[in-house]
Amino acid sequence: MLAETSAISEEFLRQLTAVGEVDILVGIPTFNNRDTIERVVSAVQVGLTKYFHRERCVLINPDGGSTDGTPEIFKNASVEDFGMLLTSNPLRTFHRVTAPYHGIPGKETALRTLFTAADLLRAKACAVFSPDSLSVTPEWVDSLIRPIYREEYDFVAPVYQRQKFDGLLGRGLLSPVIASLYGRRVREPVGTELGVSGRLACHFLESDVWEEDLTTFGLEIWMTTTAIVDQFRLCESFLGPKVQAAKQFGQDVAGTVQQVVGALFRCLEMHESFWKTRDGSEALPMFGFQYKVALEPLRIGKKGVLDNFRSQLDQLVPILESILTPQTLLALRNIAQLTDRDFRFPDELWVKTIYEFAAAHHRSVINRDHLLRALPLLYRGWISSFILENQKADGARIDQRLETLGGEFDRWKSYLIDRWGADIGGER
Amino acid sequence: MGESKARPAGKGIDALMSRDGLWYRDAVIYELHVRGFYDADGNGAGEFRGLTLKLDYLADLGVSAVWLLPFYPSPLRDDGYDISDYTNIHPAYGNLDDFRMFLEEAHRRNIRVITELVLNHTSDQHPWFQQARSSRDNPRRDWYVWSDSVERYKQARIIFTDTELSNWAWDPVSKSYYWHRFFSHQPDLNFDNPAVLEAVWEVMKFWLDMGVDGLRLDAVPYLVEREGTSCENLPETHGVLKFLRRRVEEQFTEKMFLAEANQWPRDVREYFGNGDECHMAFHFPLMPRMFMALRLEDRKPIVDILQNTPAIPDFCQWGIFLRNHDELTLEMVTDEERDYMYDEFARDARAKLNLGIRRRLAPLMEGDRRRVELMNGLLMSMPGTPILYYGDEIGMGDNIYLGDRNGVRTPMQWNGGWNAGFSNADPEQLYSPIISNPVYGYQAINVESQRRYDHSLLSWMKRLIRLRKSNQVFGRGTMEILSPQNHRVLAYIRELANERVLVVSNLSSQAQAAELDLKRWKGAIPIEMFGGNLFPPIGDLPYLLTLGPYQFYWFRLRRL
Amino acid sequence: MKHLVLQSLDQTFGRFYGMVQQFLPHLLAMIIIVLAGWLVAIILKIIARRLFALARVNTLSEGSGITQILKKADLPPPLDLLSQLVFWVVWIAFILLGLDTLGIPELHLQISRLFLFLPQIFVALIVLFFGLLAANFFSRAALLSAVNANLPSARLVSGFVRFVIILLTIAMALEQLALAERTVLITFTITFGAIMLSLAIAFGVGGRTVAQTMLERIFPPPDAGKREEEKEKVEEIPPL
Repeated sequence: MLAETSAISEEFLRQLTAVGEVDILVGIPTFNNRDTIERVVSAVQVGLTKYFHRERCVLINPDGGSTDGTPEIFKNASVEDFGMLLTSNPLRTFHRVTAPYHGIPGKETALRTLFTAADLLRAKACAVFSPDSLSVTPEWVDSLIRPIYREEYDFVAPVYQRQKFDGLLGRGLLSPVIASLYGRRVREPVGTELGVSGRLACHFLESDVWEEDLTTFGLEIWMTTTAIVDQFRLCESFLGPKVQAAKQFGQDVAGTVQQVVGALFRCLEMHESFWKTRDGSEALPMFGFQYKVALEPLRIGKKGVLDNFRSQLDQLVPILESILTPQTLLALRNIAQLTDRDFRFPDELWVKTIYEFAAAHHRSVINRDHLLRALPLLYRGWISSFILENQKADGARIDQRLETLGGEFDRWKSYLIDRWGADIGGER
Repeated sequence: MGESKARPAGKGIDALMSRDGLWYRDAVIYELHVRGFYDADGNGAGEFRGLTLKLDYLADLGVSAVWLLPFYPSPLRDDGYDISDYTNIHPAYGNLDDFRMFLEEAHRRNIRVITELVLNHTSDQHPWFQQARSSRDNPRRDWYVWSDSVERYKQARIIFTDTELSNWAWDPVSKSYYWHRFFSHQPDLNFDNPAVLEAVWEVMKFWLDMGVDGLRLDAVPYLVEREGTSCENLPETHGVLKFLRRRVEEQFTEKMFLAEANQWPRDVREYFGNGDECHMAFHFPLMPRMFMALRLEDRKPIVDILQNTPAIPDFCQWGIFLRNHDELTLEMVTDEERDYMYDEFARDARAKLNLGIRRRLAPLMEGDRRRVELMNGLLMSMPGTPILYYGDEIGMGDNIYLGDRNGVRTPMQWNGGWNAGFSNADPEQLYSPIISNPVYGYQAINVESQRRYDHSLLSWMKRLIRLRKSNQVFGRGTMEILSPQNHRVLAYIRELANERVLVVSNLSSQAQAAELDLKRWKGAIPIEMFGGNLFPPIGDLPYLLTLGPYQFYWFRLRRL
Repeated sequence: MKHLVLQSLDQTFGRFYGMVQQFLPHLLAMIIIVLAGWLVAIILKIIARRLFALARVNTLSEGSGITQILKKADLPPPLDLLSQLVFWVVWIAFILLGLDTLGIPELHLQISRLFLFLPQIFVALIVLFFGLLAANFFSRAALLSAVNANLPSARLVSGFVRFVIILLTIAMALEQLALAERTVLITFTITFGAIMLSLAIAFGVGGRTVAQTMLERIFPPPDAGKREEEKEKVEEIPPL
């Protein structure tokens, strides 16, 4: 099964040739990560020495054209004293390959490069690490690779200990949709770390999706859903708290929501025949020793987002009219009238909103890009409601709450199926 | 180096090369046990008369020195390392006349003789100990190390972990404890006593006078004990060695001390002193790493240990080997490495002993001729004097069902007939059963059948040895390790004056390609040394070589 | 006397009949042309309708919101509208052709000029169409961006974008029709400039702090870290 080698430069190919066949491949895609890359490399190296010291391993760094010297730091990062790190010196030569990849800097090209390398080197297990994880430890290597290498799983999704309101897009939208439609409860469908078997990596390479533009986060969702649809074995592995290097000034929440949900909707289209005909959902086997640490709570300005939702909803009505049913739109406008104390975004309304958006996206009632850009506002409304409702709740209660929400997504699945094939213009 | 003693007229390579007296730097040494080599008188065990009859075989093989395991009178509870008379021959192997005859015949064939000097301890049957233990007032009392409590020298480790629980043994005769680093029937001599030193010197003189060329100093790190130390490698121990070396230098020429110190290279380095202690020392840590590198298919273990090997004084030499009469020792590796070696090479738990694996080379290589050749090729091309273990040149097997390390000390297999041609005695009379399974048994593996064919392992080994001996660069040259990106290929350059040899070895079971950076020798023509064929000259670009599984090349780099 | 009047009348009627006789064939020809034109226009309308359907004009205009606008204005859907347009254009062309055959020279001149003018009208209409499409698309995009960036008067912004683009479109269309070119150009320039100037003033004076914040985002000052620590409260949680 020979992969396309156009994703790989000649220099990279030469380095891979020198490495030869490996058992484990770890990839760290980078783009200007000079501050954090050294630590991640050391953690991975120690992890491989500690847990897989008899295996042939290689650490690959597809770099999207860093201008701050990240590849040099990657090459030179070394572990001085294995003894102090409670592991012995490695048995084997530790291979480290860095190569710039062609194409637009982005996860997509980097992952394609890694999978191609995994195919060429016949790696049995691959893991991808994010270059700016501050909380990465050598144990993460074991958590992501052991299920594949020893237990013969194909896809390992990470599980992080999250701050209670962190990552709600995943927990409140992506995860329940995937659970109710694809039948597997994946807690982190867009994790920055993941594990993939060599078999699955080759399978990914054979797809056409690389020619399309799935964007940064879209690829993870596509991988997760494709692995489910094509009958590969999935599992989850507990890693620990997730702390990432602070991004410069302000996250583009709207952009993120748009990209991620757009990718999800496109996957729904691709896998239409799969999810329409199946029922129920099951949890994935979870590896790893779970523990909790007290995380620094996020202090959130409560007012801003809610006000934003309330004031802006009316402005968007002309667009929302084309997407949502009149009942749903009316319900949204009604909740926007509620006071701060009473403001609640009911689960059913949220579910219906999402499903109507999905169906409208499928039917292209308006330009898809515009449709997706109408969603962040509603997401903000839901978030405000969720936070207000669960201010005093602890992590466990929130998990329960989200489970209930997941149940709603299950309940209304047939609604989505109906809307999916409805006439153009909807019910009027 | 003092007046030169008359040497028997030496013909051939040895005499030409070793004019400077450093014969041990150009030598190829062959380790054997008299008992296991050839039985001429039909009593079931080999002896000197038999060994003398087989000297032609050794000369034909091409080895330049023979190292004999202990043949002294001994209760034989540690295969002869428990000596009860230093200046005699065990009756089972003959007498002093037989030995002198053997020595003469060996020298006539340009083969030097290295014997054992077990300095550290004697058998408890030795008259010295018998006297020392008889009473506390005996003049020889202080020749050994006594104590009333076992609390002394607590930091010293136990070496024979499988059999001994303590370094102190109780002597019921004199009602006190005596010190023994090895078996309890091998009490340690007390080297703080000048009388002991003199006695040891007399023993040395005895054999050197007779014509013995070299002495292997067994267990040298343990000579002296001091409280609060590990009792290994102490400065006083080095003092003893310097003393002995001085004496030898005063009275003899071209004699050699070979230290047996199973330590890290930087600790073994001490045994060379400043060129005033031992001439040679075994490089123990290299040996398991060669096996490990082969199994891992990664040159890292070898490169690491060589880079951690310090430089040694001029005129000194490392002794390198693949296997010997002991277990393949795994003392000088990490716990992970030891576990790996056990898992890969000692699947049958019976093969483990103490901290090692008691198997011969061929079974460790799973009978794979290519691997056996590769290991020997590495042995012959690495810096140091190679020491072959008897029987490995024909690929003899082992018997892990025999106790202790006797599985690798079975009779030499000369032919496919009665008792493998080793002895005319009844098979039941033999000192040890002969290997007789269909794979490694004497019917399949023996000297006679391999002698006849050019393609046999024996014939190949002869060619290898001849090639090694005709190039001084292997024994005396420097070594520079190259770093091709393909970690499965080990490549290094040996250099001496104008001689330059490139050695490239594929450690993996699969074909490999490697690009070597040979820019420094641009313009040179590599000539493959086994066949003499020319290879493309070295240019500006990295030199690409492809190697089959376990294949190796020796290239002479010739400038026109 | 009666005889002279009758003779004059007779002569006049005779001349009239002569003129009518001359004119009648032209008239008949014109009627035939017009009728034929009507048939051709119908056929072309049907063909055009098919072609437009194939070109997915419906989807395009639905996507950019034209359909909704037309609905609101009680106009027929774009497919019908366009094919109807084709019909009318073709038929009017034939009518003009018919009129031309009447042979009236001044009319002929006017008609030729009208014909020459037709392509311009056509292009202007296309410009208008795409301009409307663009106005809709970009105004919607602006609305979404404004809403997502939480700007206070998103609809205003959106409407403004639509207004500007339509203004530009009309100006381009008028220019295409070569109607009072210079006047249009000058008017447009002044209007546009005035709007921009007033925006700048409004933003710079009234929206000083907003401007500051936006600039600081792009060019962070050296003590930005400290500033960040001061305002510890996060406005929005990371969604992933």
